[in-house]
Amino acid sequence: MDRTRIAAPFAIALVAAAALVTTGAAQTGQAADAPGVLLSRQLMERRQLHVGDLVRLSADPSGGRPQSFRILGVYEPTADPMRFAQPALEVRLHLPDLLALKRDPSQPAASDTVSAINVALVNPADADGFARDVSARLPGTTAASTMAPNDRTSTFVVIERFHLAIAIVTMIGSAVFLLALMIMMVDERRETVGTLRLIGFTRRRILLQVLAEGALIAVAGTTFGILFSFASQGAFNRFFQWRYDTSLVFLRITPGVVAQSILLAVPLGIVASLAASWALLRRGALALIRR
Amino acid sequence: MLRALHFAWRNSVRQPGRTCLGVLGVAAVGALLFDMLLLSHGLVLSFRDLLDRAGFDVRVLATDAAPLSGPRIVDAEAAVAAIARLPQVEAAVPVSIRNAEIVSQSEGARPIRVQFLGADPNARPMWTVIDGRDLSAGASAGSPLLVNRALAARLGVAPGSTVSLRGSCGPGSAALPQMRFAIVGVAEFPFDDAAAETVAGPISSLAGLCGDEPGSSVDMLLVRSNPKDGSESAAAAIRARLRGLHVVTNGELVERFSRVEFSYFRQISFVLATVTMFFGFLLIAVLLTASVNERLGEIAALRAVGLSRGRVVAGVLFESMMMVGAGAILAVPVGLALSVWLDGILRALPGIPTDVHFFVFESRALVSYAWLLGAASVGAALYPMRIVATLPIAATLRREVVG
Repeated sequence: MDRTRIAAPFAIALVAAAALVTTGAAQTGQAADAPGVLLSRQLMERRQLHVGDLVRLSADPSGGRPQSFRILGVYEPTADPMRFAQPALEVRLHLPDLLALKRDPSQPAASDTVSAINVALVNPADADGFARDVSARLPGTTAASTMAPNDRTSTFVVIERFHLAIAIVTMIGSAVFLLALMIMMVDERRETVGTLRLIGFTRRRILLQVLAEGALIAVAGTTFGILFSFASQGAFNRFFQWRYDTSLVFLRITPGVVAQSILLAVPLGIVASLAASWALLRRGALALIRR
Repeated sequence: MLRALHFAWRNSVRQPGRTCLGVLGVAAVGALLFDMLLLSHGLVLSFRDLLDRAGFDVRVLATDAAPLSGPRIVDAEAAVAAIARLPQVEAAVPVSIRNAEIVSQSEGARPIRVQFLGADPNARPMWTVIDGRDLSAGASAGSPLLVNRALAARLGVAPGSTVSLRGSCGPGSAALPQMRFAIVGVAEFPFDDAAAETVAGPISSLAGLCGDEPGSSVDMLLVRSNPKDGSESAAAAIRARLRGLHVVTNGELVERFSRVEFSYFRQISFVLATVTMFFGFLLIAVLLTASVNERLGEIAALRAVGLSRGRVVAGVLFESMMMVGAGAILAVPVGLALSVWLDGILRALPGIPTDVHFFVFESRALVSYAWLLGAASVGAALYPMRIVATLPIAATLRREVVG
C-alpha cells in the first residue's frame, strides 16, 4: 500500500521514552490503574522484567516526573536493517500516554505534537501530488510518499553495489583457479589425446568431447555450489541473528541469485575447459605422446 | 636449504603457464584478503582520526544516547564554567546543532533546510576556513555566518553576501522570526557528508534563532584535556564534578562505534577474509598436489640416486612458499588499487563524512596479511609434502617403468 508520511520538525520520538525505563521491580499495591505498555523482548531480557511488572518511565534525562506503567506484554520489534547493530530497547505506549509523559508545563503547546502522521490514500497513485499539497498548505511540515527514495533506500543500493564488486573480484579469482585446474586436468591426458589423434580422431571430435565433459563438470560444480549455499544460508543467518539479537534475515538465496550463478558459472566452466584443451590440441599428435 | 630452494625454483619454472596461473590466483585471492584486513579496522581508524583532528578529546553529553540524538544539556553555562575550572582541563566549548531554513526572498520558493552549528566564535574552531575569514573576526552587518562549499555553490553566495534564516528548532518554529546573517567565509566541516548543507555561527545567534535563552541548553560540551593529564584523567574529573552528565573520551566513543555502529563491516570483512583464505589454501593445495602427483616417478628416481627425503619435502614446501610469496607481493598493489575502488563505492553511503574512509592502510594489516598467507602456504603444502615423504621408491619406479 502506498502511504504518505507527514513529519513535523518538532518530533516526539516514541523510542525516546523507551530508553528511560527506571525501575523494573513489581510494586504491588502501587498504581493499580497504571496504563499498560508493551516492552521489546530485548529490553525485557536486559532488565529482567516480566509481564505484569510495574515500570516507571520518564521523558526527562534526569529521571524527573516519572510515571508508572504496567507491562502488558512483550513484542519482537520489527527488524530494521538500518539499526540492526543497536540493541532494540523499545517501549510501545498509547499515544495519549506518551503525550502525557512528554508534557512540559512550560510549553503547553508542545503536548499536542507528534513526530509523524501516516496517511493511507484512497488512490495510492496520488501520493506525490498529495505530499506536495500538504507541504504547501502546512508550512513547517515535510510530507513525502513512503515510496520516495530516501537515505534508507540509497544505503542498501550502496551496500548492494559493494557486494557486487566483491562478487566480481571473487569471480576473477575463481576463473583463474578454474583455468589452472582445467589446464592440469587436460595436461594429464596428453598421452591419451595423442593416441586418439593417431588412431584417427579429429581435433573437432576431441574438442566436442572435452566440451561435453567441461559442461558436465560445470553443471555438477554449479549444482554443488548452489546446494551448499542453500545448506549454509541457515547457519549464516543464525550466526548473525545470534550476534545481533535480531530476527533480520541477512542472506536469502532467491531464484534470481540462483539464475545469476548458473548463468555465470556454467559458461565460465565450459570456456575454461575449451581454452585449456585448445592449448593442447594445437600441438601435433606425435608431440603429445612424446615423453 | 639453498639446494632445496633451487630444486623448488626449477620445478616452478619448468611449467611456467601453470605457475603463472597459480600466482595470478593467489594474487586475486590475496588482494581481496588484503582489502578485507584494511576494511576490518579502516572505519575505526578513520573515525578516530576525524575525532582527534577536531582538537578535543572529551565530549560531555546529557545522556548516553548517541551524540546529537539524545536530550540537551540544561544549565550549560554553569556546566562549562565548572568544567573549565578543573586543572585537568585546558578548554571547554559548548556546541549546539539545530536545523534552520534559509528563507528565500522570491515568492513561492521552498526554503532550504540546513544544519546550523553554533559554537563559541572565540574558541579554536572545529572547521577549516577555505575562503574568507572565521567567525571570530565578526561581521559589520548582522551575525557572522560560515557556510560549507555545497551550500555556497547552491545559493551562489560568497563572503560578503547576506542570507536570512529561520530556526526549525521544535514546537512553534513556524512562528519564529527570521534573522539576517552576513556570510564571512566558506568552511569545510569535518563531519559533513557529500550532500550536507551546513552553516556555522555564534552559539548566541543560534539561541536567538531558536528563541532560546543564551547559554540555557546545548547539545554537547567539547573538552580539550590538559596534555600532561590526558583525556582519561580529565573525563574522570568531570564525572566526579558533574554526576548527572555523560562523559565520554574519544577512545571510548571509537570503541562504542566499533562495537555497535561499525560492527557490520568488521563482521563482513571477517567472513570474506575467512572465505578468501580457504579459497587460497584450496588453490595452492590442489595445484601442488597435482604437480607432485605428476612427478612421482621423477621424485622417486631422485630419491633413488641419493636425494634425501628432507630435501625433497623441503622442495615442495619452498615451491608452495614461492608461489604464495610471488602472488602475495603482486596482490599488495592490486589490493591497494581495489581498495580505492571499493572505498569509493562505500563512501557513497548517506551520512558518511567526506573525510571518513572504509579502507585505511596500516602496517598491522600488512603484518597480519603476511602471517595469514604464510600459514596458508605451509598448510596447503602439508598434504603434498606427506605424499613425497611417504613415497615408496622401488614400487613407484616399477610402476613408472611398467606403466
